[in-house]
Amino acid sequence: MFLRLVAAVSVAGWLSASLASGETRPRYGGVLRVEVRMAGDTADPPQSGPGLADLIGNFNITEWEGGRRAVFEANEAAAGGRPYVDRVEVQLARALRDQSADLETGKADIVELGPNELRRSAAGRKVWSSAPVRVVALVFGARVEDARVREALSLAVDRGIIHRVLLQQQGEVSGALLPQWLSGYAFLFPATADMGRARSLLAGLPATARTLTLGVDDAALRPIADRIALTARDAGLMVTVVTGASDVRLTEFRITSTDPARALAAIAGALGMPLPAHAASAEGLYAAERALLEGFRVAPLFHLPDSYGAGGKVKGGPGISPLGEWRFENLWVEGERQ
Amino acid sequence: MTFRTRLLLIFTIAVIATVGVVELLVLGSTRRAFEGVESQRVDALVAQFRLEFERSKQEIVRAVGGIARSDALRDFVTKADYWPYLDQEAAQNLASTQGLKLLELVAGDGTIVSSAEWPARFGYHEEWLTQETDWHSRGAFLKREELSDGVALSLVAVATAEVADRKLFVVGGQEMDRDFLGTLVLPKGMRVLLYRNLEARYSAADLVSGESRIGDAQRLEPLVESVLGGRREASRIVGSGADAEVFHALPLAGSEDSLLGVLLIGSSRRELVDLEASLRSTGIWVAAGGILMGVVLAWWATARITRPVQLLARSAGKVASGEWGTTVEVTSADEIGKLARAFNRMTHELVEQRQRLMQAERVAAWRELARRLAHELKNPLFPLQITVENMQRARDSYPEQFDEVFREGTATLLAELSNLKQIIGRFSDFAKMPAPEMQRVDFNNLVAETMRLFEGQLSQTHIAAKVELAPVLPLVPADPEQMTRALRNLILNAIDAMPRGGTLTIRTAAIGEGVRLEVADTGQGLTPEECERLFTPYYTTKTHGTGLGLAIVQSVVSDHKGHITVESETGKGAKFRIDLGAV
Repeated sequence: MFLRLVAAVSVAGWLSASLASGETRPRYGGVLRVEVRMAGDTADPPQSGPGLADLIGNFNITEWEGGRRAVFEANEAAAGGRPYVDRVEVQLARALRDQSADLETGKADIVELGPNELRRSAAGRKVWSSAPVRVVALVFGARVEDARVREALSLAVDRGIIHRVLLQQQGEVSGALLPQWLSGYAFLFPATADMGRARSLLAGLPATARTLTLGVDDAALRPIADRIALTARDAGLMVTVVTGASDVRLTEFRITSTDPARALAAIAGALGMPLPAHAASAEGLYAAERALLEGFRVAPLFHLPDSYGAGGKVKGGPGISPLGEWRFENLWVEGERQ
Repeated sequence: MTFRTRLLLIFTIAVIATVGVVELLVLGSTRRAFEGVESQRVDALVAQFRLEFERSKQEIVRAVGGIARSDALRDFVTKADYWPYLDQEAAQNLASTQGLKLLELVAGDGTIVSSAEWPARFGYHEEWLTQETDWHSRGAFLKREELSDGVALSLVAVATAEVADRKLFVVGGQEMDRDFLGTLVLPKGMRVLLYRNLEARYSAADLVSGESRIGDAQRLEPLVESVLGGRREASRIVGSGADAEVFHALPLAGSEDSLLGVLLIGSSRRELVDLEASLRSTGIWVAAGGILMGVVLAWWATARITRPVQLLARSAGKVASGEWGTTVEVTSADEIGKLARAFNRMTHELVEQRQRLMQAERVAAWRELARRLAHELKNPLFPLQITVENMQRARDSYPEQFDEVFREGTATLLAELSNLKQIIGRFSDFAKMPAPEMQRVDFNNLVAETMRLFEGQLSQTHIAAKVELAPVLPLVPADPEQMTRALRNLILNAIDAMPRGGTLTIRTAAIGEGVRLEVADTGQGLTPEECERLFTPYYTTKTHGTGLGLAIVQSVVSDHKGHITVESETGKGAKFRIDLGAV
């Protein structure tokens, strides 16, 4: 397919940037350089999930160095037609700050953007944001048996100030697993801190029960973990932020379907919780989600969007779907690399 | 212990004592000198620390002021989208521009808007900042700083800034940690420790050093507690031996006059201990050398002193053994020489006195001999004279009776002449006394044969003879004729001592390789004075006799290297005992 006009597709109006048709003529050829913070430290490239796996079909993977880089070549026989770019080179395990620097200096064409990078918008740079599809949550391990401790930590998290300061108001504060845009009832789950109740829950508990390790493997989430540890201390919990094995993990899940029931089932599966019964109505779905959150084994905190920055030479797009899926087959690169 | 050994010992002790005293004096003065130097080094280090501390304070004040006045701060504040919160990298970026480890940007109401040391603390309040009004004049001060991984001691300064009608406190500084102590230049053997008084009780973890790990943190607890309790400087020796250190501790006050730290300046005593060990070792070697030399010198000196003394002792021994004319060579004019001269003079006088004594004794003997001779000769002469005069008178006045008188007179004359002859014979016997001709003699036989000679005489008296011979008696070298003569004299003496009868006991006994011969009587006995003079020639307690009998006995016994003694009590008889062979 020679000409491929890209329409600004917005399932629910989430895409924050679009390319007006007729901006330029698509061209074949060139290399699209992408940087992500995902480590991908595996022997084989991922076959599912967001990001790299989204390229499969339109591109064929030709090189894989787990934890370092991946190279995809355009699939001439792609179902939707050959992608414009010849090749996509993905650099893995790149810090957000470095990604932004590389985008500024032209070493990368597409990078992920964190909250701080989002604020520093540079001229000529495109920003693509998905719907809030990343669920940031606290997930308690089996060692934290006392529900009062789990609830106390959930109540000690001041989601509002973290959202304002650390997340720069990106995404949403939430106490629900499914985001408001998907379920419509997320606001029903309480998301405000209650330090007084947290303290009362912990009153009388021995120090060992009030001592927790909070694991965070994603460096982008580390400031949030530090803040949670700080406010937890005010509630009477001794929380130490660690990497690796821990009592509680600060982690994120992805909304992988626009069907709320499927999305909830996927999250439950990712958490290792019993799959909720398929609910046809919103009330049933709410009840199922409420059942999942009962017992405070998981405490949802935020729903965040995927945000990417693209250099000025990247044309076409947007390069991601509302669910944050990569749609690089619609992009082409202008300039000398053509 | 000989005089020489004693002298040697005294000399050695004197050397050891002298070396010991010198060693103690040297050690004492060394210790004082070292402590003086040590005190100076500690003072210098304290001064250096104070200087470094002041310099750090000024640098911090300057850095914090620079941040407060910086355009970068102004940009962060004016571009803040969510005041009172800033970009969380704001404080870290500003801190790095001034090389500060700690920096907090605090809003006018005390709310932390950005923190370099603990980014997660945004939104928390620092109430203490709003209580002070003039931070500019306050300068830098010590502060207890809470960090995400614990509590730290910090040196901070506060500056204020007005940006877009927003008041801002800039609180920045450095942590008082290993890095800070590392800036101090330490002399060899010294170290600086900082105790951060951050806990309610002493904690070894709060003690930091600029160089290495602290292995003896617990030993410093008393000193730290002392400084914190007394709020004043203190010194103490920590550890012992070569590991001992002198620690000087300075209290470090924080805001509101609280003691937030204690600076400990330690000076190792290893050098002093090594020096003392070296001095002690040297002292021991010197003492050993001194003792050796002392022994040699003492040997030589005592030899010089004791050789003449030994000569004198030997000469004195010779004098004691009868060499009256022994003299010693006088080789010096000192006390020993004087002693030698005195000794020679003494022996000389001794010889002269002995000669005089011998002469006097000889004269006395001759006088006694003359007296005895006169006495002995006078007794028979008087009857001779009377008899001759009677014979003359009878011839002149009574011729008819002359023959009878002549017959009686001549009988008397012959008897007295016989008596005179006997007296002269005794003197002659004493004078003759030949040298003994030794042969092995059985004294039991000798006693038995001698007693047979007296059987007749004893039978005419009331004296009972009792002979007790030893069953086994060794043969002893002796002259049997002279010993018979001596025994005969003792028996005669015993018979004379018992005019009214009694018991004569003669006893032999073996004494080792020799024999004992005893002759006892039951007569009147002798007084102690008589016993003393008994063996003196010509001395006799009897009305008749020459007084030569016991003298002859003593002479014979003496010629046989024997020994004669007498035991007697008045009224209980006398016992003469002769020991031969084993004497």
